[in-house]
Amino acid sequence: MRQTFYSGGWLYAALVAPILILIFTFFYLPVGLAFYWSFFLEKPFGGGSQFVGLENFARVLLDAGFWSSLWRTFLFMMLAASFGILLALLLALAADRGIRTSRIARNVLIWPKAIAGASIGIVFTFIFNPFLGLFAPLNEVFPGLWNPRIDGADAFATVVIAQVWTGIPFNFIILLSGLQTIPDTLIKAAAMDGASAWRRVRDIQLPLLTPQLFLTFVLEFVQTAVDPFGLIDTMTNGGPGDSTTLLIYKIYTDGFHSYDLSGAATQTVLLMLFVIAMVLVQFRLEKRVKYER
Amino acid sequence: MIETTRGIDRTAATVLIVGMTFILSPLVIALIVATQSYDEFVAAGGISLLPGQHFIGNIVQIATETNLPRQVLNSIIVATSSAAIKCTFAFLATFALVFFESRWSKLIFALTIATVMLPLDLIVVTTYQVVANVAMPLNWLIELGWYASATPTAAPHLEWNLLDTYLGIAAPIATSSTSVFIYRQFFLSLPRAAAMDGAGPLRFLIDILLPLSKTPLIATFIFWFVGGWTSYLWPLVSATSSEMQPAIVGLSRLATSEPDRIPEVPMLMAGALFVSFLPVVLIAVMQGRIVKGLNLSEK
Repeated sequence: MRQTFYSGGWLYAALVAPILILIFTFFYLPVGLAFYWSFFLEKPFGGGSQFVGLENFARVLLDAGFWSSLWRTFLFMMLAASFGILLALLLALAADRGIRTSRIARNVLIWPKAIAGASIGIVFTFIFNPFLGLFAPLNEVFPGLWNPRIDGADAFATVVIAQVWTGIPFNFIILLSGLQTIPDTLIKAAAMDGASAWRRVRDIQLPLLTPQLFLTFVLEFVQTAVDPFGLIDTMTNGGPGDSTTLLIYKIYTDGFHSYDLSGAATQTVLLMLFVIAMVLVQFRLEKRVKYER
Repeated sequence: MIETTRGIDRTAATVLIVGMTFILSPLVIALIVATQSYDEFVAAGGISLLPGQHFIGNIVQIATETNLPRQVLNSIIVATSSAAIKCTFAFLATFALVFFESRWSKLIFALTIATVMLPLDLIVVTTYQVVANVAMPLNWLIELGWYASATPTAAPHLEWNLLDTYLGIAAPIATSSTSVFIYRQFFLSLPRAAAMDGAGPLRFLIDILLPLSKTPLIATFIFWFVGGWTSYLWPLVSATSSEMQPAIVGLSRLATSEPDRIPEVPMLMAGALFVSFLPVVLIAVMQGRIVKGLNLSEK
């Protein structure tokens, strides 16, 4: 249904101007500046800039550190997004049953939304601490079994677990609200026909939930590219070695610690393109999935 | 119900309890450790699930010996202003996009929604440069004009540094325009009769649309408030002094100060709870309203 019934003019311009000025200044300008700088060599303390063509890109693309952190970003996105969504889906399916537990679960399960990655990172650092934390007794029996300070894989796993923890609420809210719009009659009719609960999940609820699942994957991929910064900064500082240096962390250290502004801008451009590519791939995939209500 | 559901319900309840345990256990561990004194913690040699008596003491230490109370106030200011900007600007723009006939609407909608795809943290390096001198685009215009008029003197250079100010920290956080999408869904679902009595656009906006939109407005405001509160990378780089840093940044600075001795874990845990208390209570109390008002399902 069309709702338009006022005609444009000054009022229209005045209404849309604030948000346009805001996003132009603090979003499109930085995005454009990142592209601009990726073609210039910018001197750190305002010493002017010099056009260098594709030299920045060549420098970044020939740097093994860039590729390994991009690969880790990809791995992290895949692991954290899949686990996060799968877990949220299971919980949403359970909460949708309207049992007594689901009332309180709906509340508790979104609490992590209110807790910053950096603060829960501090808690998780302690919990996973090899000498003080939960696994300390295990380490006494099998020395060296668990040490995220030395073992890169352990460190990576702790960040993934923490990211899944922080990512549950949003996925859970979206998936649960999707499940609740599925007409009850469909499920009851299927139950009458003798379809088991698992069968109904597979053949009715999951197919009808495709739009929400798609939405969670898109948002989760965007979020897992940037969200882990707070976790990494408080839990591992990118280490041990550079085993948890995701691209977002590398950009931060290159830009604000090494003052390599052109390099950081170039990597920002590449990370933006990477995120956009991941989202576009998903839009393509979505077109293949047919769903009807 | 049509079938016996005991077994399924039991499975569902188990799943939910396992999920809640996963979510709650780090918080419970933090809470228990926050009640212990540093000496008790060191004596126990790590995690001990015996609550101590020092919770108040640890909180008092946080409140008196660190900058965290001031920084919590910063968090409140930054989170409130970024949420207020987000809601107001998006509400006005969406009103125009939905209820006005204009060929620009599609483009403007696309421009605002594109901000969702690239979060602020991704472009933090260049956002820093923009906020360090917001007058940058004006300088470009001036220089362009100077070139065009071939004036021999140097062009004036404007400086407006917003780093380390509340506005500079809050404004970039407010750019993500998911609200436009949410309000649009909501406006489109309203019955058309609401505007049939021939009221002018501003009258309609204030007297009809605003009261009707209370639910989504409150929900998005709380959601963005919490989002502003928990943001970390941008405040970390843009708030350069401890007096301007939000609480989350202040907490992480506490955690990294001493590398050699056993960290002051009980105090850190108390700090983590201290900076998370307000947003968690807000989310817990308002949970029903938030979920209802966000209305994220496609209909």
